[in-house]
Amino acid sequence: MVRFARILLAGSSLLASVSPLAAQGGYSPTVALVSGPDVGRQAPGFSLPWANKDSVGPASAPYELWRDRGKTVVLAFYPKDFTSGCTAEMRTFAEQYDSLFGPDIVVVGISADSVETHARFASSLNLPFRLLSDPQQKVAAKYGSKGDEGYMHRTVYVVGPKGTVTYRNLRFNALDPKQYAELAGAVRAAKGS
Amino acid sequence: MTFERGYRLFLRSIGLLAALIARPIPAHAQDEGIAVGAKAPAVAIHDVDGKPVDIGQYIGKKPVLLEFWATWCERCEALLPRVRAAKAAFGDKVEFFGVNVAVNQTPDRVRRWVEENKPPYRTLYDDEGTSIRAYNVPTTSYVVVVDRTGKVAYTGTGGTQDISAVLRTVAEK
Repeated sequence: MVRFARILLAGSSLLASVSPLAAQGGYSPTVALVSGPDVGRQAPGFSLPWANKDSVGPASAPYELWRDRGKTVVLAFYPKDFTSGCTAEMRTFAEQYDSLFGPDIVVVGISADSVETHARFASSLNLPFRLLSDPQQKVAAKYGSKGDEGYMHRTVYVVGPKGTVTYRNLRFNALDPKQYAELAGAVRAAKGS
Repeated sequence: MTFERGYRLFLRSIGLLAALIARPIPAHAQDEGIAVGAKAPAVAIHDVDGKPVDIGQYIGKKPVLLEFWATWCERCEALLPRVRAAKAAFGDKVEFFGVNVAVNQTPDRVRRWVEENKPPYRTLYDDEGTSIRAYNVPTTSYVVVVDRTGKVAYTGTGGTQDISAVLRTVAEK
């Protein structure tokens, strides 16, 4: 009987671990196991090579999250450079930068593409922020954004000045105006957190 | 039912549940769009002038084509001649809607584009994202064709979709 109760408890925990995904943002037709820091938890540290619209960043100076402590950071994981959904998302981030993010916000896009591809992609869209390269998806795994066949899941995290996650959307839709508005609100709220 | 039998049944159920939950998301499943064969959502949005448009009025009564587009979408521009040709051939049998995704857009910009390009569909402007979520729209140039029974008969993206061939199958049924 004790064993029975333990199994019942384990089953309940399993279900409970899934429900936050369903609750997050309210867009969850697919049930899946996700991990990654929830709102209020410390954002996992990482260091990744980067490129921007002008060049590939020096290997000796990767992007390191801890260096932006004290600022609000937006981490945008996305499937792949030059694909249509990602182009729509990054183009919108670039062209609506002031209304979405405003000054003093650090925005980084993260995918499994190489820094060379990132440099071409950033240049083609004139992106005013860096793109980080995570080919093994090790950082994506820490943030519940790891996907199959080199395509990350499209997710967005906002990390507040204290280094904690203040917002996350694990099913960000690149064409949903409401989700961009929600992100802009989360960024504004994070500035004061 | 004995306790042992009930216990075994419970274990099996837990195993099945765990297998279902642990099933990984296929490669960028969130970008796949609505499934062919699914019942088409009857969404109500509005046109670029704010006039309400209920797509549900047409779904299940006649075939419907929805193209999700934006003025900055090059593939939508490439697709336009094919949509024009399809409208010329099937415009009397199929209802055509072009749903502007309203991301990185303004109503003025959309109005100007419509004025200049005169697209062959009724232009809608989904600034609430209602249809985007309902159809799980993955990208612009995404075309959904709904048959006269109200089921999704086709989905596709890109500038080279053979829209006329798709509509021939739903218009003649």
